[in-house]
Amino acid sequence: MPSFLKKNKNIKVLIGLIFLQLILISIQVPKDKKETYFEKLIFSVFSPVQHGVVYLFQKTGSFWKSYFGLKGVRKENERLKEEMFFLLQENNVIRNLLQKYKSENEINDALRNIQENILHARVIGFDASNFYKSVVINKGFLDDIQKNMPVLDRYGNLVGRIVGPISLKESRIQLVTDNNCGISVFSEKKEVVGMLTGDGKGMCLLEYILSTDEDFFKGERVYTSGFDGIFPPGISVGEIVSLETTSGLFKKIIVKPYFKFQDLDNLAVIKIKNLNIF
Amino acid sequence: MKNLIRITAAIIITIIIYTTLAKISIYAVQIINLFSLAVIYFALEKGEIFGACFGAFCGIIYDSFSLGAFGVAGIAKTITGFLAGYVSKKIDVTPFIRSFIFIFILISLELIVWVFLYSYIFLASFNTGKGIIFLQPLGTAFLGSLIFLLIRKVKGVTSKYKK
Repeated sequence: MPSFLKKNKNIKVLIGLIFLQLILISIQVPKDKKETYFEKLIFSVFSPVQHGVVYLFQKTGSFWKSYFGLKGVRKENERLKEEMFFLLQENNVIRNLLQKYKSENEINDALRNIQENILHARVIGFDASNFYKSVVINKGFLDDIQKNMPVLDRYGNLVGRIVGPISLKESRIQLVTDNNCGISVFSEKKEVVGMLTGDGKGMCLLEYILSTDEDFFKGERVYTSGFDGIFPPGISVGEIVSLETTSGLFKKIIVKPYFKFQDLDNLAVIKIKNLNIF
Repeated sequence: MKNLIRITAAIIITIIIYTTLAKISIYAVQIINLFSLAVIYFALEKGEIFGACFGAFCGIIYDSFSLGAFGVAGIAKTITGFLAGYVSKKIDVTPFIRSFIFIFILISLELIVWVFLYSYIFLASFNTGKGIIFLQPLGTAFLGSLIFLLIRKVKGVTSKYKK
């Protein structure tokens, strides 16, 4: 043993601790493995604290709104009434169109099926290492949350999917902007299929598109194709904002996701695998 | 037992402030490294061994708030805790300016170790949050030295009151 280690016990402890953590890292990497019991335990212990803080925030916020923030309520009520009026009109038009192909009972059943399988969730925590990687929501095992369930924002745009760990009342979502995320998508105009992944900085990259491929355009919308077996087809993901032909084999295509990070408060977890309702 | 209660309370308070800050603005938690502040505080009080162990534990909690691997922040915070305890035995870091410089250097070092491990293990480019993360040593050092100063003042007042 080196003499400096014999003399200094403190250094030994430091080296021991670092060594233990290196072992811990090596057990977990690569990250596509199933999460360990240790990971689940730590998540289950500390995520309720976050849940509690957010709950307090919401309660304080609603108290504030109930007693002091009544000023804007009338205005907001008017706006919501107007919004609801247009939504009802839209709903009726869609129902009437559907009735050309399906009976009213079939339509009601299908719509009920959708309502029953959409779970409203709220974000209670952001990723500490990179906030474009994941978020934690206030729904978990007790709410029938399972891995790989797709998660949408309030406008129906894809946000990500449920990944582990899932505790009793909390679970983690991998965002589409995470660089380990992979989604099969297709383009709006020519319906060419590609693989979308995050860049870890708030944007997404459409990968494995050959430099010779001319079927993608700037401003084009990108939707899930369903070929990955995780995300149902037809969910809007984002828009192509940049197209570059590189000297390599593939094009560099940047997609801006539709979901807004600042607006990530209310989310919808889709509990059914297939969104084709009829 | 008293120490255990203090540590548990410190961890819970840190998580509460961390979540509150994240709820206010996601960039706030990038500017202020609360977990490291807790590590440095206890390392100054209890020494390098305690600082290193507490750093490892806080690092694991920090990693539980991310999709990354457990141990990445742990190693960085273990080194921070150890160095904080070790250096504070050799140099008096209680004055505000010294405390500021001391925390600034420690957080800068921690950031370098963390970024290196993160990029090396995950082979991924690192999100700087539009460069905001580089303000972390400055923000944490300012807030940390202010909090430590306040704690000393409160302790001074309470000890006078007891006498």
